[in-house]
Amino acid sequence: MLTYEPDETLAHRLDPRSKLAVQIGFAATALAHPTPRALLVLSAVTVVVLAAARVSLRRTVIAYRYALVVLAIAPVLAGVTIGSPWFDRADALTSGLASYRVLLILLVSAAYVRSTPVRDSRAAIQRTIPGKPGQLLGIGIALVFRFLPVLQGDLRTIREAMAARLGTERGTIDRISTVGMLGLTRAFDRADRLSLALRARCFAWNPTLPPLAFSRLDYPVLAFALCLALSAFY
Amino acid sequence: MATERNSVELVDDDAVRSFARAAVLAALMGAAAVVGSIPIPLSPVPISLGVLVVYLMGLYLGPYWGTVSIGLYLTAGAIGIPVFANGTAGIGVLIGETGGYLWAYPLAVILIGLAVHGTDDLADPADTSTPVIAAVLLAALIVIYGLGTAWLGYVLELGAIEALQLAVVPFVPGDLLKIVAAIAIVKAGRIDPT
Repeated sequence: MLTYEPDETLAHRLDPRSKLAVQIGFAATALAHPTPRALLVLSAVTVVVLAAARVSLRRTVIAYRYALVVLAIAPVLAGVTIGSPWFDRADALTSGLASYRVLLILLVSAAYVRSTPVRDSRAAIQRTIPGKPGQLLGIGIALVFRFLPVLQGDLRTIREAMAARLGTERGTIDRISTVGMLGLTRAFDRADRLSLALRARCFAWNPTLPPLAFSRLDYPVLAFALCLALSAFY
Repeated sequence: MATERNSVELVDDDAVRSFARAAVLAALMGAAAVVGSIPIPLSPVPISLGVLVVYLMGLYLGPYWGTVSIGLYLTAGAIGIPVFANGTAGIGVLIGETGGYLWAYPLAVILIGLAVHGTDDLADPADTSTPVIAAVLLAALIVIYGLGTAWLGYVLELGAIEALQLAVVPFVPGDLLKIVAAIAIVKAGRIDPT
């Protein structure tokens, strides 16, 4: 699974905000230029980004395998025509280039995922989005991170309990609604206990954040992000 | 190091409760993306429960907190928590070929929330008549399909028919079953939204 891994790479030392900026700039210019020449340059940029975060290409491809199936089918689907000439190569090529740029965007975002702990992303969000919306988003993300494995466990338990009682022999709608209802009931139970715990601990709009500062390394990266974003217009 | 000297500003009790529910449902949505799939007869694509949780967010959290919840889900995925389909994450997924569906979720939640609860306090969705809920969920599904297909077509340079073949046709049976399941959950009346 694609997730944060502690390491000492260049990307790990950067401020999350400059890494976010690079991703957005990269996506903007990749969406604006689905031409072979631009994609060649962007491929080189992708290789540099992946190396800077020491991303394993094999593991990333495995993590995105379902998305890649769609990317692979799209050019075939675009090329196939009913009747002569049966396969339109120009259409397939256009769609193939478009699919490839999506692959590059996915790979670049994988570098961010591997090199940024959730805590840093949270601090970046809370510093970028001012006031209560930023606070809400930051705390909410921390809670999602905390509760994700718990609720995965809940869903797994529900599925196993159903299977043990021959629930897998029941109709599809019955199964979906049972999992949905039990999942929601458990989630709300957990949420109500969580809200009690939050209130008991003086849940406030203004807690203290971890420190976050641009280092000298961040300025060239930010400038690079700006160049990528501006290149979308040329 | 600078010390913050502001006084503590507590969050209201009602807001804490709704916020906790929104955050936990966002996590449930992420959990469903990994654990939830159920195979259905005569279809190669198993049902993922993700869209069902989108319906439930609109039905049980209402337009305001439902939007907060789906917003948390999308942001959590963007910064690298593995909540998107099959445990993926990253801004790339939000911009990639299935990004249109993800961006359509908040609109679907707002649509369902407004239709069932209005703009006032939360109502019990069990009090809304079955045809109304069915129509609203179907409309939400059409919004999701519409944006999802449009974005997929644009980003992969596909025609409308090709995009529909790739992004809608394989999922229609499962998504219709999820609407029926969502109605069954609401009508069972076992979950208290307030």
